[in-house]
Amino acid sequence: MSHSIAVDRALVVISFKRRLAYKSHWFFGLAIGGGSMLIAMVMWQNLIGSGTLSGYDWDSMRAYTIIGFVAATMVFGAADWIMADRILDGHIAVDLTKPVDFQRARAAEYVGSMLSTFPTAVMGVVAAWLLFQPPGPATPLAGLLTVVSFLLMFPLAFGLTYLSTLVCFWTKRYLGIMWLREALLSFFSGLMIPLAFMPGWLQAVAWALPFPHFTTTPSAIYLGRVDTAGALGLLAAEAAWAVGLWVLGWLVFRTAVKKVTVHGG
Amino acid sequence: MPILEAQALTKTFRRPDKDSGFKGAVRHLMQRKYKNYTAVDGIDLSIEAGESVAYVGPNGAGKSTTVKLLTGILRPSEGTVRVMGRDPHVERIANAHDIGVLFGQRTQLWWDLPVEESLKLLKHMYGVSDADYKRRIERFDELLDLNEFMPALARTLSLGQRMRADLACALIHDPKMVYLDEPTIGLDISVKDRLRAFLRELVNDGTTLLLTSHDLADIEEVCERIVVIDKGAVAYDGSIERLKAHYITTKAVNLYLEGAANVPELAEKFPDYEWTAGEAPSEVVVTYESNRFTTAEVLGSLTAQLSPRDLSLSEPSIEDVIRRLYAGELTK
Repeated sequence: MSHSIAVDRALVVISFKRRLAYKSHWFFGLAIGGGSMLIAMVMWQNLIGSGTLSGYDWDSMRAYTIIGFVAATMVFGAADWIMADRILDGHIAVDLTKPVDFQRARAAEYVGSMLSTFPTAVMGVVAAWLLFQPPGPATPLAGLLTVVSFLLMFPLAFGLTYLSTLVCFWTKRYLGIMWLREALLSFFSGLMIPLAFMPGWLQAVAWALPFPHFTTTPSAIYLGRVDTAGALGLLAAEAAWAVGLWVLGWLVFRTAVKKVTVHGG
Repeated sequence: MPILEAQALTKTFRRPDKDSGFKGAVRHLMQRKYKNYTAVDGIDLSIEAGESVAYVGPNGAGKSTTVKLLTGILRPSEGTVRVMGRDPHVERIANAHDIGVLFGQRTQLWWDLPVEESLKLLKHMYGVSDADYKRRIERFDELLDLNEFMPALARTLSLGQRMRADLACALIHDPKMVYLDEPTIGLDISVKDRLRAFLRELVNDGTTLLLTSHDLADIEEVCERIVVIDKGAVAYDGSIERLKAHYITTKAVNLYLEGAANVPELAEKFPDYEWTAGEAPSEVVVTYESNRFTTAEVLGSLTAQLSPRDLSLSEPSIEDVIRRLYAGELTK
């Protein structure tokens, strides 16, 4: 057991280092993520003013936007295309000759890749905090549960990404799949606009999907829009999605690996 | 018991059957048609521990596909593979511990990181002890000058360095069974020589080796047994010596005469030999059957009657045999 954990750790570390090798990625992550956050802030300030919109006032919207920024940095900053490219260009042949579980190894790499977004997230949050001074969590417990929600985002984001890269066993391109996933995530997570602003039926669609856990869940817990029982319920749903997607990924890989075709050398 | 055994191994791929051009592309969208294409067609192969086997065939013969079937990457369409008693596709992870694989055309180095990082990751993956790791790296350094580029980023390596680093990656866990798919592709003569010397040492130490290559010098210098495949099927399986003895039945002498050579006249004068024009007007190639005449006899009769300015003997080459095997002239 300790041996496989050592392998996981080595994969997390090497994947983290790979991301460090490209310092411009960080800069662009910060510029694009920070820029979007600033635009959202200005927009919400104008829209809400001193009133409220579906229960959000300017105070809570500032915290909401920062939470959305952290989630977006983590999930869009991880290098998911590396996994897809290896399937498409045949390097998966090399991965399959290694004595490690394929899914677990990719998960460890993905975690390393997500962790590499940490400096960007921290810098962005610190800057936003200084500029906008958002309110703290509703209660200390709510703050703690918000952290749990962010931690669960690791397996959840991996599950979604892994499944979408496995599609490459059947298709010959990844870009479209990535765009689709990112668009669905941006919209149904509440990253673009809070789910509370949407009509009831669209909210129902969103909550039938794993995406709301990327912004709506942590922000609802943080702002106290749900009580402790509600927060635990949301976290349970998030964890269930993480487990469900893991199992689904395992099943899809079992079929996909039978279809591996690596031509030409 | 053989370390590797494949029986009636077959791999069929499905390929889109598309007409060329825009019309073909549209028609394929409407009505998808596929053709089955058999890359590996009923191969039987048995390798004993410690053997060094060259797996040879023209481009597209199914060499790489076979290697991928034997290493568990691909699932056979039909037939079975057992490596150390395991099905390498079903028991992929257990099998991976005991094998080392190098794909000459695909690196396993982490592209953006120093070579050393990739090797250390593999050390963890295979559970290699610190002492073993250190010892093996030292040995690889002696034979492959590994330390020269250990701190360099993999993407900055030359092809020769990359291949040496990849070879170290494939062997860091001291695997019992090693598959090298075109390990010398694109390398210059001096790097090839070093790799071959390294591989000979590996074989001498008792590692079982299956090597695919287009470079016949790799095969002759490293392997004892050769399996030639063509169109997915085995065309020859046996020792390289036997292949030569069996199929190289003629030898040749190049003669350089004083004046221009008159080939028809010479052919009439010495009907036992076969005469062909050489590259220069004064050069002529004499081919004779090695089981009928000794070289001494042939040289004796030629020099006595023609007094050539110079002559040279061409060594029988396995290349010619394999070329003829590929061309379908020879049968097993």
